[in-house]
Amino acid sequence: MRLAGFFVFAVAVILLPILFPDNYFVTVVGIAAGLHVILAVGLNLLMGYAGQISLGHAAFFGMGGYASAILTTRWEWPGWLAMLAGLLVAGTIAWLLARPILRLRGHYLAMATLGFGVIIHVLMVQATEWTGGPDGLGNIPPLNLLGWTVDSDRQWYWVIAVAMLLVIGLSLNLVDSRIGRALRAVRSAELAAQMMGIDTARAKTQVFVVSALFAAFAGSLFAHQQAFVSPDSFSLMISVELVTMVVLGGMASTFGAACGAIALTLLHEGLVVFEDYEMLIHGALLMAVMIFLPQGLFVGLTQGVHRGWTWIASRRGAKEPHHPAVS
Amino acid sequence: MMTAHSSSLLTVEALEQSFGGVMALAGVSFQTPEKLVYAIIGPNGAGKTTLFNVLCGFYSPTAGALRFDGHELRGLPPHRIAALGIARTFQNLQLFFNMTVLENVMVGCHLRAKTGLLSAALRLPRVRREERQLRAWAAEALELCGLSDRAGQLAGALPYGLMKRVEIARALAAKPRLLLLDEPAAGLNDTETMALRDLIARIHATGVTILLVEHHMPLVMSIADRLLVLDYGSVLAEGPPVEIQANPRVIAAYLGGAVQYAV
Amino acid sequence: MPEQIFQFLVTGITVGAIYALVGLGFALIYNASDVVNFAQGEFVMLGAMTAIALLGAGLPLVLAAIAATLLTALVGLLLERCAIEPARGASVVTTIIITIGAAIFLRGVASLLWGKNSLPFPAFSGNEPIHLGGATLLPQSLWVLGGAVLLVSLTRAFLNRTLLGKALLACSFNPVAAQLVGINVKVMLRLAYGLSAGLGAIAGILAAPITFSSYEAGIMLGLKGFSAAIVGGIGNPMGAVAGGLLLGVLEALGAGLISSGYKDAIAFVFVLMVLFFEPTGLFGHKVAERV
Repeated sequence: MRLAGFFVFAVAVILLPILFPDNYFVTVVGIAAGLHVILAVGLNLLMGYAGQISLGHAAFFGMGGYASAILTTRWEWPGWLAMLAGLLVAGTIAWLLARPILRLRGHYLAMATLGFGVIIHVLMVQATEWTGGPDGLGNIPPLNLLGWTVDSDRQWYWVIAVAMLLVIGLSLNLVDSRIGRALRAVRSAELAAQMMGIDTARAKTQVFVVSALFAAFAGSLFAHQQAFVSPDSFSLMISVELVTMVVLGGMASTFGAACGAIALTLLHEGLVVFEDYEMLIHGALLMAVMIFLPQGLFVGLTQGVHRGWTWIASRRGAKEPHHPAVS
Repeated sequence: MMTAHSSSLLTVEALEQSFGGVMALAGVSFQTPEKLVYAIIGPNGAGKTTLFNVLCGFYSPTAGALRFDGHELRGLPPHRIAALGIARTFQNLQLFFNMTVLENVMVGCHLRAKTGLLSAALRLPRVRREERQLRAWAAEALELCGLSDRAGQLAGALPYGLMKRVEIARALAAKPRLLLLDEPAAGLNDTETMALRDLIARIHATGVTILLVEHHMPLVMSIADRLLVLDYGSVLAEGPPVEIQANPRVIAAYLGGAVQYAV
Repeated sequence: MPEQIFQFLVTGITVGAIYALVGLGFALIYNASDVVNFAQGEFVMLGAMTAIALLGAGLPLVLAAIAATLLTALVGLLLERCAIEPARGASVVTTIIITIGAAIFLRGVASLLWGKNSLPFPAFSGNEPIHLGGATLLPQSLWVLGGAVLLVSLTRAFLNRTLLGKALLACSFNPVAAQLVGINVKVMLRLAYGLSAGLGAIAGILAAPITFSSYEAGIMLGLKGFSAAIVGGIGNPMGAVAGGLLLGVLEALGAGLISSGYKDAIAFVFVLMVLFFEPTGLFGHKVAERV
């Protein structure tokens, strides 16, 4: 099942540019969608599986982006080394932040992650001598991988596609493992998870770091691909969009998050024509999905099918599950 | 009465737990000998579940000592206590409702496996081997609890009685030395309760020490080796079932009402 | 230097009064429904923008202000009815996202109606600066401060003295019991949203001559109001007021003594510190998080 989904996805990603060569939608929009998928899949590990909201995820995306931008332009580091440095920075900051921030729940966690995102964004705007301020940093050299320079949209499509499939693969593996089950257990019944020997604080910290690493990875790729970064790409609104992607597709499903990311990217492309209405539609969509399909489009629909199936299969007067509570 | 058993697995000494001045446990002492079924009974509010929660590290006791196999439990977080070999079920179900029965029980095996984050993400060959091992262990626990045919179902979709069994299977999968069962018979019908009695006996036969909090007197009296009676957070009596049944203080505390059983 | 500090304090208290009003709105809604409304800042923006539009249409200031407040209150009520009520019992994350969606939606409406430029609003009583022991302040600041004092006292009296206000507080404390003693929880929730939207709108109108307004003016104001509520202990209305003032002063001092560009970062660093070390807020009485 896990592998089947992955292969369907992979085949689609490979076939698209072959069926539609030099198509603007496939290459340019595909690149944006791929980056969004990496971000959403990472955030979904944190939000969907571990149940921890983050309204500041653009900060980690930005750390990767700015690390690559600053290190390659200022000190002329090779792209891969700058990317590693970005991962190191984002991972370390996530690790330091995880314990105090993930002790918070609900609204408090939302506020804290949001505040963190704003603080990092202000730094991007204000630390002008490093970041170039509101104007951003340009002239980022193209990414060079073992002597191969990535410099056309089509090449970027393939690089991002590979990166995206890698991230999806890692995520699928992780979720269906001892670590992933522990995470889902923490989200579902934290006390019971602890009693099964799961160090819940450690589990949350780990997943926070992983999702930050995925975001920083996407940030580095983004910086090289655009050859330019500015604070606008890492603002609070971007964090909100990332959350939207995860919930749009459906939390706690890797493919759901991926589909949400692709759907929102396409929606943005489609709404370019109605630029003035973009915010309106974005907001209305967010509300409608949360009200009518709180499990998200992808998960809501697939679960609907699955439910119907099992409902027919086992129509025996099953009691409603009791609400878990501290005994 | 409190003579030290040579093979005491759990020793509780002068345990006190107060919540803002209310004494939920007022100096409770007892010892659980290894490989026995040790039952804790008492009216509602006597402090039974509080005792479990203190044992598991959810509350930190106001005073007293808790020793398990030579380790002091006081001050340890729940996951460290679990690592010493204690597992439990919950009075109010604490299942992972959105996971399958098999996955629930595999979480129970958490401490018996080693797979870390990186190797899990890369799904290295040894991770696959370990997954197979976990499945086998989980299947064993499911088999013992008679849940083998439910492995693939969502835990949240099971009937109540089976959910309670999944909790037991999950706790067993941890291969605990001490198993805490918090009112396993609550909400079960007579047939289910009988089956539960057999299950507890089977678990006991595998060498697990069982600490049982239960209201269902016929069940308790027929399966417990020793009983501890709590009332208002204090020990009212302690001894084998026959002694407890004849204890006038116990009978008085229950006002004859709940003690209508025949052995 | 002391004079400068005094000036920062004066500025800070003015800004803080606005935060206090937004935070008060947060606290009202949180008290009634346990929902943190991320669209609170949009109420502030709507109040200001509607008033500007009505003023432009030729209405006198007082009428424009009253009409804008009522219209915004109506929007708040509709928000509760159309977006919050259908999702009752949803998880915290779900309600957070719904209100964020509402915020984006309202921003979208505002940008369609009034464009994307920052719009001015005439000061209520001129722009002649008032000198006050070495510090200067605009007459509008006095309007803001006076308005804030009045609104906070009225809200306080409403919550503590009137039956309706007490009923509003009872709703969040125990909705089932509230229902049992005959309080119509649904009506109470709508009332809370309406009131809090109205409060936001007045705050927006009072501040607009100083800050101007645009379709996105609500974002930061909303976040600062939320911060004020958290610093004060979420669900504690007067705590939110104190939190708002504290935040405003801190920001003004930070802007003056360190760098104005970093003032938002300074405010949020403070909020993070509060969350890490005193998550129930500095003036909190209520239980931090009801599990």
